[in-house]
Amino acid sequence: MTPEDAPLPLIALDAVVKTYDTGEVPFTALREVNLHVHTGEFVGLIGKSGSGKTTLVNMITGIDRPTSGAVVVDGTPIHELSENELALWRGRTIGVVFQFFQLLPTLTTIENVMLPMDFANVIPSGERFDRAMHLLEQVEMADQAHKLPSALSGGQQQRVAIARALANDPPVIAADEPTGNLDSKTAEAVFTLFEELVERHKTIIMVTHDNDLAGRVRRALHVSDGEIVEERIHRARVGA
Amino acid sequence: MFDRRWTKLIRDLTTHRLRTTLVVLSIAVGIFAVGVVMGGRGILVREFDEDFTTSTPASAQFMTEGLDAAVVRDVERRPDVRYADGRRRVAVRFTAEESPSEGTVGWPTMRLWAIPDFAAIRVQKIGRQSAASWPPGPGEIVLESGALQVEDFAIGDMITVEGPSGTRAPMRVVGFAHDINAYPAKFTSAITGFVSMESMDALDEPRDLNSMAVLFSKRDYTRGEASRMAADIRDTELASAGVRVVRTEVPEPGSHFFGDIFKAVSLLLLALGVLSLGLSAFLVVTTVSAIMAQQARQVGIMKAVGARTGQVTGMYLGLVVAYGLLAVAVALPAGLLAGRAFAEYGASVLNFRIVDYTPPLWVFVLEVGVGVLIPVAAAMVPIALGTKTPVAHALAATGISSSFGKGLIDRALGTLRGLPRPVALSLRNTFLRKGRLLLTLTTLALASAVVMSVLSARASMLKTVDDMSSWWRYDAQAILAQPAPASLVEREAESVDGVTAVETWVESQASLSRPDGTENESLFAIGLPPKTGFITPSVVAGRWLREGEADAVVVNTDITKEEKWIEPGDTIRLDIRGTEKEWKVVGIVTGQLMGPVAYMPSEALDSAMAAEGAVGRVLVQTSEHTAEAQRRAADQLDRKLDGAGVVVADTLTQTKQAEDIAGQFGILVVFLVIMASLLALVGVIGLIGTMSINVLESVREIGVMRATGAGHAAIFSIFITEGVVVALMAWAIGAVVSWPLSVFLVNALGVAMSLPLSYAFSYVGVLAWLAGVVLIAVLASIVPAWNASRVSVRDAIAYE
Repeated sequence: MTPEDAPLPLIALDAVVKTYDTGEVPFTALREVNLHVHTGEFVGLIGKSGSGKTTLVNMITGIDRPTSGAVVVDGTPIHELSENELALWRGRTIGVVFQFFQLLPTLTTIENVMLPMDFANVIPSGERFDRAMHLLEQVEMADQAHKLPSALSGGQQQRVAIARALANDPPVIAADEPTGNLDSKTAEAVFTLFEELVERHKTIIMVTHDNDLAGRVRRALHVSDGEIVEERIHRARVGA
Repeated sequence: MFDRRWTKLIRDLTTHRLRTTLVVLSIAVGIFAVGVVMGGRGILVREFDEDFTTSTPASAQFMTEGLDAAVVRDVERRPDVRYADGRRRVAVRFTAEESPSEGTVGWPTMRLWAIPDFAAIRVQKIGRQSAASWPPGPGEIVLESGALQVEDFAIGDMITVEGPSGTRAPMRVVGFAHDINAYPAKFTSAITGFVSMESMDALDEPRDLNSMAVLFSKRDYTRGEASRMAADIRDTELASAGVRVVRTEVPEPGSHFFGDIFKAVSLLLLALGVLSLGLSAFLVVTTVSAIMAQQARQVGIMKAVGARTGQVTGMYLGLVVAYGLLAVAVALPAGLLAGRAFAEYGASVLNFRIVDYTPPLWVFVLEVGVGVLIPVAAAMVPIALGTKTPVAHALAATGISSSFGKGLIDRALGTLRGLPRPVALSLRNTFLRKGRLLLTLTTLALASAVVMSVLSARASMLKTVDDMSSWWRYDAQAILAQPAPASLVEREAESVDGVTAVETWVESQASLSRPDGTENESLFAIGLPPKTGFITPSVVAGRWLREGEADAVVVNTDITKEEKWIEPGDTIRLDIRGTEKEWKVVGIVTGQLMGPVAYMPSEALDSAMAAEGAVGRVLVQTSEHTAEAQRRAADQLDRKLDGAGVVVADTLTQTKQAEDIAGQFGILVVFLVIMASLLALVGVIGLIGTMSINVLESVREIGVMRATGAGHAAIFSIFITEGVVVALMAWAIGAVVSWPLSVFLVNALGVAMSLPLSYAFSYVGVLAWLAGVVLIAVLASIVPAWNASRVSVRDAIAYE
């Protein structure tokens, strides 16, 4: 297969630089990063604290912007979008999962899952409840649908957060240390959920510093000092 | 199904009850203030106008000698006169005793109106209130309801009335009536009563009329035109019938005698309303900014899951509208009730009736506008800033501010050494959120400035009263019912115990001819020794009288206020008891709430009015100046004169007069205090709100402090100190601002009352407010500080 015949990447980062103005000396979090991710890939970003992996995932989700370079996701050059366009795009294209779950404390489990549908307005309003319930069933949280986040354990909250990330059926899920705050058993359950999503052709970018988990993703990228310094492909575990 | 955005909004409202309560209270206090002030003012202005108009106030009033019903009918036949009503007015003294002993010492005075036909009153109507018998029959009296403010009368009471001739008659109180045109008893110490003409017989008074109230046919006319018409009536119908006009009163068309005070009160209320609005807006900005800061992370999450800026803005604007509507629901009925009470108080002070207590519709519209639109407008900026925060920043918010230390103030505070660590922490915490500090300081400093200005305005009024009192240097005086020989009066006065000096004054009504041919009929001429030791005239232009000046006159500022053309050196024409004479104005002195007065040497006035040594007033100075000694001297003077056959219309002591003057200012002082209290309340709510929000926002910091060993007391004291630091700064700024503000306020009041006030800055008030504001700060911080001290480490770190 020639390069011309290769499928276009779903996510393409081209010479992305991110510099933070932290006072006297600017801090460069990403240095000319190039990355292509294809549909259905399960990519793990690993590295030490402060290595730039969260900044990298924030470039992909549009939560942060590059200082220079280009970020194209699903054909959209998101570095050129306004904040508003980004929000609209994000609601339809990307589901974000955070380390600290970030559920809205005043909304119930199912309401948290329905909220992105309300914002994006892609799913017809009459179908939102059923869809949210279906997603909660997938993450085995349907029986907790009407509870407030404060009544859930960390693992349960993260399951809900994953259901919320899937609310508008986005092609990409970006997760920043999704198991960082969970015990090993719960972390395993969440990771299994991600593996199931990849089997359903979702593309997942996951930041983690757990070497065991990093060993189970399809493609592990080691980030250090703002650069991707090593890439490992694991063929055995996931049949993508 | 309900959109989750609005579900979140409702949950935010109901979950954070303390915050919701504070925000709603902050907005509600503004709406409440507007409701009380604007609503109360609206009711007062409308009802005062309605009551006054319904009474059909006179276009002109004539005090005469020798008037009868036929002449009144003749006047009414004039084409320019719509109605003319005649009455008899008698100044009497009374006592609540049924069988009093000899003498009228200590008897209060009463303006008694004998009315030929109560059913036929068309001008200056009297409203029946509660009357067992109406109209009053012979031996019966109906009192103007203002009398109830100075004495405890009841229907069925018997009183004894003594007329100018000294004849006494018992009268039964058969009811109360309302007369908006009567001077309220509260201010003049003289009550008003109404009797039938037949009751005059019992007082040995003739049934003649001596007062005529006229309503002109023309609806719109100027005071000048009214003066000319009144002069024409006097010079034609009245003159040809041989009626001598003692005094003509031509009020400003459509204006009540309380118009000036009413204007001043109204101005104050308007100023208060506008200030309350401004302060509420500051409060709302402060509160909404705090909410947006607190919600930063949630905004970030929503944007991360696809919310657009417009959607988030809509949500938070919705939240603000909800706060506003809740505040309206709380404040509207409360403001309605308080506004009603406020109007009721105003009406009782100014002696008028309120029929309809509903505030004008625009007040409700304003209240809803204040409750909803101002918060929305005020919230725009903080919401815009909050929703525009980049998602990464919003999500990175840890709840612990790391911006401290970059500014000049921060660095200065950082260099402070030797302070206990909790105090240093409180000081630095105060400056942690500078935007909020600025807003809170502005609100509290403005409220402080207004409170201190009001206290200075009060001090200025008291100083004015003092200045007015120091104009007078008598201890007791007696006003005679009829002029009496000076030698007799002086002899009797000198025999009063403790009297060290006596002076008698010649007095008369006078009218001033203007250059345009019209007249100012409401002047009072006083003839006194130029070297008088009983007043200390404060000359504002020209000079005081000199001995031997036969045609010199000094006018007071109450004359020049209306007759602006008069200047020292001018010659004016005065008509005194039918004799016209030219007088040379040598000076202008300040007015003393006595109305327009022209002072001239005794001999000069005596000769002009051919008084032949008869005087109308006697003043004494005594060796003791206490209120009690003055009252004793006045009673003895009254008794001595009475014993010598000189009928006394009224006695007065300097202390009582000062109290009366202070009473007139009292209305304004009360309104000022209400105004200051309301604004202080706005400031207090603001401080409570800010402190509580600071605590809510500092929960993570508190958690960290707790984790490192801070006890309840330490956390509690940190927040109390923070509140006190803010209050002290607000006090200092407010004290500085209060100086120009109080000068402006005192000047504005002086202009509104047409009485220049003496300015006094209230240092006592500034110090009192220092104590007050510190106490308020402590009280406002107690609940938030308590809440802070109860935060557990686990909750603090988990706090969303």
